[in-house]
Amino acid sequence: MSKILEVKNLHKSFGNLRVLNGLNLEVGQGETIVIIGPSGGGKSTFLRCINHLEEYQKGEIIFLGEKIDKHHSNLNEIRTKIGMVFQHFNLFPHMSVLENLILAPVKVKKISKEEAIEKAKAMLKKVGLLEKIDAYPDNLSGGQKQRVAIARALMMEPVLMLFDEPTSALDPELVGEVLEVMKDLAKSGMTMIVVTHEMGFAKEVADRIIFIDKGVVVEEGTPDEIMKNPKHERTRNFLRHIL
Amino acid sequence: MEAISVVFENLPFLLMGALDTLKLTSFSVLIGLVLGTLIGMGRLSKIKVINVPSTVYVEFLRGTPLLVQISIVYFGLPQLGIQLQAYPAAIVALGLNSGAYIAEIVRAGIQSIPKGQYEAARSLGLTHWQTMRYIILPQAFKNILPALGNEFITLTKDSSLASVIGVTELMRRGQFVITRTFQTFSIYFGIALIYFLMTFTISRLVRYVEKRMAVA
Ligand SMILES: Nc1ncnc2c1ncn2[C@@H]1O[C@H](COP(=O)(O)OP(=O)(O)OP(=O)(O)O)[C@@H](O)[C@H]1O
Ligand SMILES: [Mg+2]
Repeated sequence: MSKILEVKNLHKSFGNLRVLNGLNLEVGQGETIVIIGPSGGGKSTFLRCINHLEEYQKGEIIFLGEKIDKHHSNLNEIRTKIGMVFQHFNLFPHMSVLENLILAPVKVKKISKEEAIEKAKAMLKKVGLLEKIDAYPDNLSGGQKQRVAIARALMMEPVLMLFDEPTSALDPELVGEVLEVMKDLAKSGMTMIVVTHEMGFAKEVADRIIFIDKGVVVEEGTPDEIMKNPKHERTRNFLRHIL
Repeated sequence: MEAISVVFENLPFLLMGALDTLKLTSFSVLIGLVLGTLIGMGRLSKIKVINVPSTVYVEFLRGTPLLVQISIVYFGLPQLGIQLQAYPAAIVALGLNSGAYIAEIVRAGIQSIPKGQYEAARSLGLTHWQTMRYIILPQAFKNILPALGNEFITLTKDSSLASVIGVTELMRRGQFVITRTFQTFSIYFGIALIYFLMTFTISRLVRYVEKRMAVA
């Protein structure tokens, strides 16, 4: 199993507020990692450091053998290989679904518009939204928006996908359709890091669950280990809250 | 009665001036838009050598009278070896001036776009400039269209100050007619009406475009 991502001793603070305090994690090819933990524990910040939407002060992030920090010569190219899905979708509201999907492939990867459109159709079919190709984001349900957002990220053919609470802004009845798409993706061999508290999803597709609190990995293990037999008091308390 | 017919007799002459006012204003707004967009983005830059000059520019041009600015460009610059005709000088001065106001409008417009839009674009690999061009500015401009319309209207009125350096726009032509006819009240009132018709039309036009864009 080859290593995709390696995070060593990561420290990050916002002014005086220390958010990440020496976080370590390794992710292998094809793994699905689920991150859980209390609000404010640094989960989002951690994901955002991985594709360098946030700078960090200490430690190392190594992605495909390259060190990701502010001195990296081409962060934009690195970012094309790391897809990100946000809690609030962040679709571009002034563009149709198709335009949302083809913008980055055409402008960043410089593939032809025709090729991008073909690819977009295939991708939308995969997430079950081909009929929405000309719709605008405002006319989609939350679940549809998030599926489009996933398709948009996949258009860049990323090596790693980051999900930051992708279903927590959705009405309960729309959560399932998004999780289905994510399960398919995990089973197709995509390497994924998912911040979520959907434990059913974690149980079904996670290779490992990571519990992050106060900016460190408190505990990690298989879904069974974490959910049935958490070693730390903090993990136990937290799980009691969400289960 | 004579007072009114004087306005009508000189209407073609005055309308030529109104046309010049519109041209002058349009060119200035165009310059102001380009300048304002760049400086507005500059105001939000984290890089000091971009941010500080942008801020100084905005503060200085908003904090000094337009009449003084026009005078500097037309009467002052020749002393430094830069000689401009009255008309281009007016365009430059008005353009520089509106650039400062539009910069503030653009800045507010950019800030009105949720941060997630910027992050989503960057996470797809777009550069800062691509993100601005394809994601942030198009949405920002939609939001600031009413404010830009207001700026256009303000500038239409302010362009009357160009009369002091001899640009034959509406105000200046009105003064010509007055020196010939001595009908101060009716001519100035007639000019006011023409200004009003122009600004009213612009505000309606902006509202129309706004509605059309809200649908899209
Ligand atoms: N841009 C920022 N500036 C200042 N503080 C920030 C910023 N972003 C996050 N923080 C703070 O950092 C801490 C960690 O936030 P983060 O969003 O990473 O937590 P989280 O684990 O994702 O929480 P949640 O479950 O609520 O999403 C919080 O205290 C938050 O207020
Ligand atoms: Mg979060």
